Amino acid sequence: MFRSFLSWRYLISRRSNLVGIGGILLGVGAMILILSIMTGFLEEQRRAIRGTLSDVIIRPERIVGPNGMVIDPAPFPEPILELLLADPRVRGAAPQLQWAALISEKGIDFSTLFSSPAAAENVTKEIVGIDLRTDLRLVEPALSAALASIGAFAPRYLVQDELDATGFLESLTGRDGELGWTIAPRMPLFPFETGREERALRTPACIVGEKLGRQFGISPGDTIQLATLVFPPDSEPKLNNRDFVVSGLFKTEANDVDSKRIYVDRFELADFIGTFRSYSQILVRIEGDDHVAARAAIETRLDEENLILGPTYANEVLTWEDTNRPLLGAIENERMLMAIMLSLVLIVAGFTIFATLSMMVTEKRRDIGILSALGATPSGILSMFLMIAFWDALIGALLGGAIGVLAAFRIDAIERWLSAILGVQIFDRDVYLFTHIPTIVQPLSVASIVGGAFLIAHIFAAIPAWRAARLDPLTALRYE
Amino acid sequence: MLRARKIRKSFGLGDRSLEILHGVNLELKSGELLALVGASGAGKSTLLHVLGLLDRPQEGEVIIDGADAWKLSVQERANARNKKIGFVFQMYHLLPELNAVENVMLPAMIAESRLVFGSKRKQHHERAAILLERFGLSNRFKHRPGQLSGGERQRVAMARGLFHDPTILLADEPTGNLDTATGERVLELLFEEQSRRGLSMILVTHDMRIAKKCQRVMLMEDGQIQADSSLPMPA
Repeated sequence: MFRSFLSWRYLISRRSNLVGIGGILLGVGAMILILSIMTGFLEEQRRAIRGTLSDVIIRPERIVGPNGMVIDPAPFPEPILELLLADPRVRGAAPQLQWAALISEKGIDFSTLFSSPAAAENVTKEIVGIDLRTDLRLVEPALSAALASIGAFAPRYLVQDELDATGFLESLTGRDGELGWTIAPRMPLFPFETGREERALRTPACIVGEKLGRQFGISPGDTIQLATLVFPPDSEPKLNNRDFVVSGLFKTEANDVDSKRIYVDRFELADFIGTFRSYSQILVRIEGDDHVAARAAIETRLDEENLILGPTYANEVLTWEDTNRPLLGAIENERMLMAIMLSLVLIVAGFTIFATLSMMVTEKRRDIGILSALGATPSGILSMFLMIAFWDALIGALLGGAIGVLAAFRIDAIERWLSAILGVQIFDRDVYLFTHIPTIVQPLSVASIVGGAFLIAHIFAAIPAWRAARLDPLTALRYE
Repeated sequence: MLRARKIRKSFGLGDRSLEILHGVNLELKSGELLALVGASGAGKSTLLHVLGLLDRPQEGEVIIDGADAWKLSVQERANARNKKIGFVFQMYHLLPELNAVENVMLPAMIAESRLVFGSKRKQHHERAAILLERFGLSNRFKHRPGQLSGGERQRVAMARGLFHDPTILLADEPTGNLDTATGERVLELLFEEQSRRGLSMILVTHDMRIAKKCQRVMLMEDGQIQADSSLPMPA
């Protein structure tokens, strides 16, 4: 009884304890707020990376033997797609063709770019050939015009397409109108019902990233020229170029996508580059979140059907995390480092508790002696001083937790208020591609921070509390 | 009731040791009021602390209720200090953060868990109030030690010492810090309680006038009992 009663009395009767409480409050509040912001930022980044990626990616290998014999188990995507779509775990699957091309306004001589590597790098873009179920997508009003204009469509027997197989569609829609498509207002709708052959007579369409558009001053309706090296089987590599009409711009949060990617019809791209395969990978979206298990099952199935080269080639079937391992690892590292750095604030708070309790033990030596004389055990005295740290942590963590969570939810208002007072733009919305400061308050993180505060408070209180418990009652009684 | 045998106690003083008690023997009977007198440095307080289980002797034993108290565990010794022994110190030794009633209830707070104390709180409060009233402090319940006079503080300390109905009361110069009139009033109250409760009590003092009021007087000199009024005087 005396432990909690006296520790509380000591706590409220001494102002120096406010330093310890304040330290914990500040540490917990700052950690919750900053980690919530960090988690928000990192999650936005993660979502941006995730946006255009499917859950599982299949990249069948093709090898050329020493005698010039080519082993290519999957020259066409259809057998793999059929197998995938029969699998109940698979929600969507679509082939994709990736290539690199140089972009220029019409009329520029591309050969001049090859003499300047820096200039070439600046105009080298990722050109992605996709399939779309254009007719089905037309029911989505925001997308219909652009999708119709790109003119790509999946063969009718395949019910999935690029947008089913990735999170790209989600990354374009449902974000407060900030992201999405910009459609050429005067762009004539291509008749998607007609076949490719008929549309081949017209200039093919493309959709480009919004940042790329800004870099080159491209507006919907403009014509751009793409050039690339092609490798004909019977001759030397050569430069090939083709005009594309920009039917729309898109804006996701992924910088690489918005500044580098150009979407075109997959067969149009295959025709342009004259590749040996009309696809470079197959994107798969699965039901549920267990990508790792799905990847393993798909790999086994494809191997059984001899549609991939097999286990010797380990990177034929990958999860989206596998393809972004270094970047995701860096994000996790960043989060971890931030948590470690911020925990230093709590350690400083721990030192203030240590200092105030040490002072208290020295000043309360006589009281310790009295308590011993009246029958308190050393363990009772130890726990009484530990309880002071407990109160410190309880009050500090509760207040700090509440303030941290509240601040995380109201961070935009706080940022605007601070910016107005300081006269500087604290959060530059142009730099970060989002209009608000993203915060995610994770209950587990909050609980860990609060738990950490308790742990640190008790660890730092343990030394003075131990000293108090070891005091000789008589020496303590004689202390004046 | 309380028996001490061959108590030796010494303190380290640099590289040598200073022996304070040289094999002291003492027996306190039930209900007996014993005065321990002697000059400063004679070893009276040290002996009292050994008997009160606050200071471990190098040799000897302290028998309380038939058991050698210095052979008990830390917990058992603390329990004995809490339940069987009451202390009254010269410097009162009240906790400044607690008011008079809380100071008196402190032994119960130490002995009981929060749950037990909570259920008996009213009972303890009433008991503390009765003790304080008996010592003339009925209007001082909520006063903290800093708001009380020396005599009042000592009376609060006495009430605290008697709270658990101890069988032994050890008083170390209880009037040493009080003026004569207040001291006499405090002693009067203390003797009254001792006699009413039939307490076994050791009173350490260097004032022979006070010692003469006790049933038995022991004189200490240089860490030894030189005279005991219960024994025939040496020729």
